[in-house]
Order: sequence, then structure tokens, then C-alpha cells
Amino acid sequence: MEKTKRIVKLTVNKEIHEIAINVNRTLLEVLRENLSLTGTKESCGQGACGSCTVLLDGLPVRSCLLLAIEAEGRDITTIEGLSKGEQLHPVQDAFIEHHAIQCGFCSPGMILTATAFLDRNPKPTEDEIRHALSGNICRCTGYAKIIKAVKALADSRR
Amino acid sequence: MNKFSLIGKNMRRVDTTSKATGEAIFSADLILPRMLVGKVLRSPYPHARIRNIDTSRAEKLPGVKAIVTAKDTCGDKWGVFRYTQDQQFLPTDKVRYVGEEVAAVAAIDEDTALEALELIDVEYEMLPAVFSIEESLAPNAPLIHDAYPNNINIHVKIDVGDVEKGFQESFYVREDTFSAPEDSYFQGEPYAVVAHFDHSGNLEIWMPNAGPHLKAKPLSNVLKIPLNKVRVRKIRIGGAFGGRSEISPADTICALLARKSQRPVKIVYTREENSVCTRQAHSMKVKIKTGVDKEGRVISRDITCHMDGGAYSSTGPIAVSVPFLCMEQAYRMDNVRYNGYRIFTNKPIRGMFRTHGRAFACGVDLQLDMIGEHLGINPLEMRLRNARQKGDYTPTKSYVASCGMTETIQKTGEMSKWNEKWGKLPPYHGIGIGCNSVQTGFPMGIRGGSQAFIKFNEEGGITVISGVVDNGQGNDHMLIQIAAEELGLSPNDVQLINADTEVTPSDPGSYSMCETFIGGNAVRLAAQDARKKLFKYAAAALKVDCSVLDAKDRKIFVKDNPNQNISMSKVVRMALSRGEAISGEGSYWPKVDPRREWVENPSGQLSETFSFGTVIVEVEVDPETGQVKVIEAWASQDVGYALMPVVIEGQFEGGLAMGGQGGMLTEFHIWNDGRVLNPTQLEYKVPLAIDMPKINNIIVETIDPSGPYGAKEAGMSIAMSAAQAYCGAICNAIGVYMNDFPLTPDKILKAIEEKKGR
Amino acid sequence: MRMQPFVYLEPKTLKEALIMLDQNKEKLKIISGGTELIPLLKLRLIKPQYIMSLKKLSKLKGIREQGSKIIIGASTTLAEIAESHVMNSLFKGIVDATKAVAAPQIQNIATIAGNLLQDSRCLYYNQSEMVRGGLEPCYKLNGHLCRAVKGGKRCFSVYQGDLAPILIAFNAKVKLEKKDGTKTVSVSELFSGNGKQPINIQEDELLTKIILPLPKKNTGSSYQKLRMRGSIDYPLASAASVFHSDKNGNIVDGCVVIGAAGPSPKIVPMASFGNKKELDNSFIDNVAQNAYKIAETVNNQALPGSYRRKVITVLVKRAINSSLRDMRGGN
Repeated sequence: MEKTKRIVKLTVNKEIHEIAINVNRTLLEVLRENLSLTGTKESCGQGACGSCTVLLDGLPVRSCLLLAIEAEGRDITTIEGLSKGEQLHPVQDAFIEHHAIQCGFCSPGMILTATAFLDRNPKPTEDEIRHALSGNICRCTGYAKIIKAVKALADSRR
Repeated sequence: MNKFSLIGKNMRRVDTTSKATGEAIFSADLILPRMLVGKVLRSPYPHARIRNIDTSRAEKLPGVKAIVTAKDTCGDKWGVFRYTQDQQFLPTDKVRYVGEEVAAVAAIDEDTALEALELIDVEYEMLPAVFSIEESLAPNAPLIHDAYPNNINIHVKIDVGDVEKGFQESFYVREDTFSAPEDSYFQGEPYAVVAHFDHSGNLEIWMPNAGPHLKAKPLSNVLKIPLNKVRVRKIRIGGAFGGRSEISPADTICALLARKSQRPVKIVYTREENSVCTRQAHSMKVKIKTGVDKEGRVISRDITCHMDGGAYSSTGPIAVSVPFLCMEQAYRMDNVRYNGYRIFTNKPIRGMFRTHGRAFACGVDLQLDMIGEHLGINPLEMRLRNARQKGDYTPTKSYVASCGMTETIQKTGEMSKWNEKWGKLPPYHGIGIGCNSVQTGFPMGIRGGSQAFIKFNEEGGITVISGVVDNGQGNDHMLIQIAAEELGLSPNDVQLINADTEVTPSDPGSYSMCETFIGGNAVRLAAQDARKKLFKYAAAALKVDCSVLDAKDRKIFVKDNPNQNISMSKVVRMALSRGEAISGEGSYWPKVDPRREWVENPSGQLSETFSFGTVIVEVEVDPETGQVKVIEAWASQDVGYALMPVVIEGQFEGGLAMGGQGGMLTEFHIWNDGRVLNPTQLEYKVPLAIDMPKINNIIVETIDPSGPYGAKEAGMSIAMSAAQAYCGAICNAIGVYMNDFPLTPDKILKAIEEKKGR
Repeated sequence: MRMQPFVYLEPKTLKEALIMLDQNKEKLKIISGGTELIPLLKLRLIKPQYIMSLKKLSKLKGIREQGSKIIIGASTTLAEIAESHVMNSLFKGIVDATKAVAAPQIQNIATIAGNLLQDSRCLYYNQSEMVRGGLEPCYKLNGHLCRAVKGGKRCFSVYQGDLAPILIAFNAKVKLEKKDGTKTVSVSELFSGNGKQPINIQEDELLTKIILPLPKKNTGSSYQKLRMRGSIDYPLASAASVFHSDKNGNIVDGCVVIGAAGPSPKIVPMASFGNKKELDNSFIDNVAQNAYKIAETVNNQALPGSYRRKVITVLVKRAINSSLRDMRGGN
């Protein structure tokens, strides 16, 4: 039978959710509207800004360009999944400490991208950091303190 | 050494943890029970009469709970000023730009709402449209508003001294024309509104804003409900940059839908709608004629500026004036004439933008470079000779109480090693300087002041209540920091209720760079008021005079003998046991000239104080492609006093990215007549991390006599002077003065080739 | 922006997928990484009834050596290509191109086939109904005019894929499969040169593999891209080249391809090398001039067509010089 609606099983922040959705829904829409995980933001809807970044099996991707159903069977991490209870993730802590957050709209996407990057490249140069974050747009900070936060965290771990 | 416990020190902001965890709620994140999705039907034509709107088919669609058109409004026209009332939020007569609101729907989900929009039938009668200043001003051009002949919306005229005589006395005079298309805000957060009426007719409404009190009154007027029933609530806001100060059609529409359906309604704009249907910045053409003496000091200036304002007035009078006012604050000149025109076109509405008029600002500064070249004076020296000084009066009669302009020029010059580089850099390698100034607020009549309250709990902890709004720059933390400092508390002891029109007193809002100066002062005064009352009780308990007391670490103590102290909580309870609940109240009204008006009387004290900024930038141009690599930047601003240096650095860095990197290199809107072809960040090139240079921040403190702790503002001078510095540096690198901005690689390459060809 | 409803098909085997393609033809669109398809669906430029997912077809993934060829599965992501040891040691230009696509987050999910088969683009076309509404449709929307070029008699949309030019320069081929058979064509044959429908793939065909001949020793390659920012943007002009020399250092073979200069990538005519170890400036200038002649650029991107055409000559020169340096660096 031809269906435009399906029951989709999504693993988000290590929890399994079964949701009935129209298949034309993006992962971003489902996260925000069905699972009330509003930390992931929409700032362009076209895959150009990075505010919708989530981690898919640890890799940062644009959730506004992913059909929710295409993300079945993958491990999805949103910003809500980074901290453990009251304990902030070190990248979150570094962003707060170094004033890498102003209005905060781009921050969830930026933090997740930085987290995934440091997991794969724990000793980056400043250039490598800029390159890794080049797909996340921030209109407030000019990026300076974001780069500083990531570098400071990486350096502190040496 | 800083004598304060918290002021002037860096610490974690109170608002950033929830932003780092994703818990911070922005308007589009709000979920209320039974909430409906609202969508707006927009005009596909730039200029057309509305013959008929038939919503009958849409009304029958299951799941549609309310539809609104002009019929549901009172038809009144709104305007920021009484003399610019030209906008109905759902027009009755005609549409004036592609994207204008025509009708709206609230439905149970987005798919239903979108389907309903397609079922609304609108009959348009197309009218001829105009898309440029020239077309609008041409004889027989179609009239966009009947009340404005020739489509001239605003004319600001300023004439000080004797400009013609000044030119006659000048050693050198030159005239140049500069232009730039519109740039755009691109705040991180696209506009969104949530509105909810309860059965007592109280409206609760959330939206990103630069001043909730500025939204509440127009909403009350338009919806015809008493002001106290309009409650604009506090919400996290993803940037404003000057584009979110006025009531928006979306606000009214959302409220109408909520009232009609008796359910909460949420309207979330797409990025396109944010770019097209809220505000953009003005495009403009500026003609600047400047006469100088032999030493390069400006004697006379005559400026004519035409700005494309789009389809409605918005903050027209302010937007036309500010580019000129910033310049007259930054530089000395005795004789100056300004004719600023805002022209209507059938394009999206333009408002005030953080980089106010890049063509204007860059034109003035670049002309100083040109004049300097003719006279053999380098650009930095030209700035020093013309810089505003403390104690001056601006041409339009504002007294300048504190001014660090010269210091910002000297310090950036020193740190960038200007003298070693100017004229000595290799080919296609350049250095440039830009200077500007920003006012801290302007006369706003009964809304020009800010009031704050402080209440205590019995443990000595406080709640600060203020109308100040935070768009992401850190105003929430600033208020807490100030209150805690004055009362000897830690930020942990301070709660904040702000930017909520039901609870908080009026405040002018954040868009006119006045939250620190006016709002911060109000909180400081409220805290000092409470402090006086606390000290009265403490003095009695310690059997000393009030004058020997101080407060720190939640204790009130004798300055010369800290062991003689009493805890804050004890003092509070003492007062309570005597039937007095201690509280603090303070309000601050800037000493501005209330008779000053943008158009009628552009003279008198504009704002109580001004900030001043200088940026120097070094660039390298690829002569084969015209692309620019920005090597390093030095940004310095006289902020009065840095309440938190790291926050101010953040403003410098963000301002440089917006005004310089974006504003001068890549940002402009592309048009197909009245249609924006680059409404998203894919084709509107907002700068990225990988594009940015190293930025050196130099904070200059002149300790303003009236600012809280001497603080003024830190959000805008750098954005503007960065654009100017980028411009000067690129022109220096290629040896050609450019007149049309931004300096995209094609224009740079053309200039290089033309120069070679000569 | 909301997409229109569609039916989602999830074939478990390649055979199943080919049958679905055969049954539904033009009513069906394939979702690979989705980074190309989803924006088009959101803008409502295409409205397919069926979307067919490749996610269960594991045979379409992976890079492996097969005799004298490297086979890249169609669903291999750009990030996987950029990280592949074999790609990095043998195909520098291709790795450079994959790293230049959009931004890292896009590369993590976009696939090589999706990138190759992307539709051509134009500022006047790639817009939502809010911008396109109230206007007559253009050629690419099955209308009768071009909005980018007043009086234009055809579609001037631009093919802006980063990978196609370098793949062509490396002589890559692709395997196209359908229910009743397969065929192998060169990547350059995939392009029709027609902006309205730039890709030569039938509605019932599925691209399953990219086949690269193992480069000979002493091969050098380069990809040069013009864009306004350092990331995210499509190319405004591009040039790819591959050169190889014999063991004595004589340049034996070379190919230069330009991209984002028309509805398809174009191979630039190049004179024969003779027995040279170096290519002098006049030779390289000549290639650049040939590129200029065949480049087709109009004002339908963020920067003017005349500028993009000029810069193509610069990119061609830089690509050639960079390839030669890479070639001599020893592969």
C-alpha cells in the first residue's frame, strides 16, 4: 500500500523513540516538534548555516537536509545529549568560560561540531579549527572567542 | 587598580549556560497547549490594488481554526512617528512590495495551514512599480503612497554655519559620490511570534525584540485593547542588530489569529521571510563635497544622500539622520550642510542597521584619504587632525562630555605599526583606517528613560526588575553585575526579571545603544537607593554613622574596621521586624534636548554621551582574481568604562565581522526587480570562521561623567569604522579609490585592470 | 519550508531498486545523501510522487581496488573519499575537490553519485515560490523564457558540481544499471550540455559505481575553485587538471577541464606537448585562452559572468602549474 505516513524508530541521545510521522518530515522537524528537543535550531532551512547540526554516528550533519526516516538505525546526538545530568560536557564548559556564546542561537550546532572535531583531532592547529567550524555561521561573535575556546580546551588536554 | 568587586572583571555570564545546553527558549521553541500553527499569505506582486479577498474555500478546510484579513483590523495606519503613519498591517487598498502580508491562517498543523493559504483567492489589479531611487523620483513615476508626492518619504535638512563661504576659504575642495546596495541583518534567529489571549482579554505575546515596551504600545493601539492588557513577555532573542525595534505585521497578525481562534498561535518565519518581510538595510547614494585648509582640517562639508527606503516609512527619520550624525560626532567641522532623502520604492521595508549607511561612512573616510593624498598627509594623521575632542559641540549642538577618539587613533596606530607600514608595503598589500562615533540613545519623549526596582527576600537575596532587554550582547548579566556590586552581593544572590511589559517598568530598548547608559544607570540608582536604606539600619545596629559603612560579601561593614559588621540578611530582617520591607527604586532620564526632532528641529543635545571607535586593517589583494585576504585588524573603541572587558571584545569582534568582513567584502542583496534573489545565507555571503583575520582589541576608557561607572556603549562604533578601514585598506592596496561598495572581487579586479591599462 | 507529501520506497536489494525505478520512472526521485534533493523539494522545484532510498543497498558503498581500476561505490560519502588512503595517495585532485565541496557537515553525508548527478543551478531558478510566484516560469520550469538573460533562447543554468571536472580529467567512467541491463559511460558523457536537463541519465537508470583507471606513475593533479567565502559556497568557476610524465620527465599526457562555466563541465582543447619537460608560459596561456573561449558565463550567480569568465583563465593556469608541481613531487 502506498503510504505517506510511517512509524519511524529513531535513536536519539541513546533513547529509542517510535514516532508516527509523514515521511516528508526532516529530522530537524521531528526532533523539535515530535520529541520537543528544541535545542537544535533552524536558521536557514537550506543546509547553509549549521544551526541544525546534530551528530549522526558521531559525525556532524545538517538535520534540516535529512529525512527523519533516513536517520533510522543511526545514532543521533543532539545538544541535549551532550551533558550528563548536571555535568556539562567540556566543550560546553569551554564555550561558557571563554565567552564563545552571545545570542546563543548558533551555539548548539557550533558546540556539537566542535565536539565531534576534537574527538577526531585532539591536537588541532588554529587553522584546522577554523576549517572544521567553517560550516557553522555565527552572526554575533566574529568567531574569535569560539576558536579561542576550542583551542584552549585542546591545549589544556595536552 | 580596579576598586570594584565585580565591575570591570571578567566572569561567566548568567545566560550562557542554558544556551550551551540547548535549554534556552527562543520564540520558535515555545510550546503551549492546543497551540495552532500560523502562516501568512503574501503578495506575489510589487505593486497592486487588492480588488477582493475570498477566504471561503480556505475556511472550509478541516483543521483551519481562524483566518484574518484587513476586514479583521480597524484599518488604522501605523507609523513610528505621528507624521509617518502609513502602514496597515493587513492592507485594505493595495500591496506595495513582493512579500507584503495580505491574509493569514491559523490551523492545527503546518501542512494544513499551507494548504489553506493556497485556497485563499486574492484578486489583484497590477500597478506599475518602481525599483530604484531614480525610477521613483522620475516625473510621472507611480505614486506608492498618496500622501508623499514624488515618493519622497523623508527629507532631513541640516545647515550649520556658512558652507559656501567655507568652501571659498578652503585650500582644497573635492566632491565625490559613493554608493552601496542594501545589506541585511541575518540575525541567527529567524523572526517568530507566539500569541495567546486569555478569556479576560489579556494578550500574552513573545517575539524577538529590541524593546518590549516599544512593541506593547503599538500593539495596544492596533488591537484597540488597553495597554495594561498587552503583555510582551521575556524570551531569549537571537540577535537584533537594529532590525527588531518596531512592531511587525506578524505581531498583529498573530495576536488577531489568537483572538479569533481563542487558542495560542505560533508563526515562525522562514529565513526568506526574515530577510524580505521584516527589515533590510537601506541602499544609498551619497554625494560628499569637502573643503579643507592646508593642514587637512575640514572647514566645510556639503552632503546629499538619497536612501532607498522600500515600501513604508518605518524608522525613516532616524535612519536618514544617523549616518550623518555619527559622522558629525566623529569629526570636527564648523560648516556643514546635509540633505538626506528617504525615497519609497516597491521593495521590502528598510530600517536601521548596525552598520548605518556603509556608503556614507566609507565615503566620508575615503575622501579624507583622498584629500590627504593630495596634500601629502597620511590617512591616520588626517584622522587625528579632524578628530572630535572632549568639550566640543557637534554642529547640531550636542555637547561631547567625554571623548577618546584621539586615543583610539593613536593606540591602533601604535599597535598596528602604522608608521612603519603606511606607504611601505609591497604591491597589492595595503593598510587602512576608519573612525566613527555612535550616540547612546536619542530623545524619545516619554519613553526615553528607564526605571528599575529591587526587592529583597528575607535572606538578603534580591530580584532586580528592569525593562532592559538582552539580544545576546549580555545585558541580563550587566544588570545583575551592577546590582550585585552596589549591594555587596554575588551574582548568585541576584535574580532578574526583565523585558516583560506586565511586570517591568518602561525602558527605551536596546536598539539605540542606550541599555548600558540608561538602563544600567537606572539599576545602579535603584541599588543605591536600597543601599541607603540598608545602611540606615546597619548604622543603627553597629552604632556608627552611615558614612563609614561599605558593603561586600553579603555583609555591611565599617570601612576602617571590617570586623565590625552585620550580615545583609540580618539587616533585612531587622527592617522587616520594624515593619519596613526594604526595596530600591531608581530611574534614569538622559539629559537630552526634548525639543530636538529629527525633521522639524534637528538641533540640540541628541544623546547625553557618545562612544568613539577606530579600526585599522591590513589586507593583501590577489591581483589576478581581486580576492582579498585580510591579514590582521586592530579595533579600538572609547567605551567609557569596560563593565566586563571580555564582553566588549565580543562586540568588537562581532562588529568587525559584520561591518568589515561582510559589509565591505561580500554582503549585498541581489534583485530581480522587486524580488530578492539571495534571501538565505547560501547566496547572501555572511562571513565564516575561515574568512576572519586575527583581531586585536584595544579598549579605551575615558570614564564618562554620567555613565554607570563611566560606561557608555560598545556595540556599534566598531562595526562602522571596520567597514571604513577595510575600504581604505583595499583602496590603498590596489592604488585606486573605489566608489561603489561592497568591494567584491569583480570590482577590485576591474579597478586593477583599468589602472594597468592606463 | 515544508516539502509536499510523497511515498517513501526502501528497496532492500539492487534488483528491487531497479524494478522500482522501472515501474515509476519520472514519478520517482532517488535520495542518496539528500543534500541536493531536499533543498529542491523544500523549494518545491520538483514534486515527485515517490522518493526511493538507497540506504539499505550496502553494495553501493566502499572504495576498492579491482585489477587496474579503483571502484568507488555510488553511495560512498565525500568524507569517506577524503579520508581514504588510496584516494589520498593516487588522486590528490579528487580529494582536494571533495574537501572543497560545501562544508564539512555536507561532506559527511553527501555521496559521490549525488554530487556528480546534481542539477544545474541559477539564482533565478533556485528559489521558493515566494520569489518565483507571480512570474512566468522560465525554461527550466518548462516555460518559455530565460530570466537571467533577457531574450535568451535557452536555459543558461550552471552545472556547479565540484567533482565532475576532476573525474573527467582522470578519465573516470560510471556504471549505469537498469532492470534490463547495464552500461558504462565516461563521466563526460553524463552531461548533455542542455541547461534544462543537464544530466544524461534515464529515469529508470541507477548510477552504481564510479570507475577510475589507476593513474600511471608520475601523475599530478589539481582542483581550483573560485568562491566568495572559504566554505559553504558552490563554485563560481572551477578548473581541474591531470598531467602525467614518463620516467624521463617528459610530459606525456594531460587534461584540463573547466566547471561552473556552463551547463556542463568542459574539456579544454590543448595543443600537443611535443617532448617537453616543462610547459612554458605561452603554452599555459594558450590553454587558458582556450578555456576562456569555451566558458559560458552569464549574470545568474552572486558575481558577474564576465568576472567569472576572466577568473577561469587564472584558475586554469593555477591548476596546470599545481598539477605539474604535484607530478614532479613524485606520486
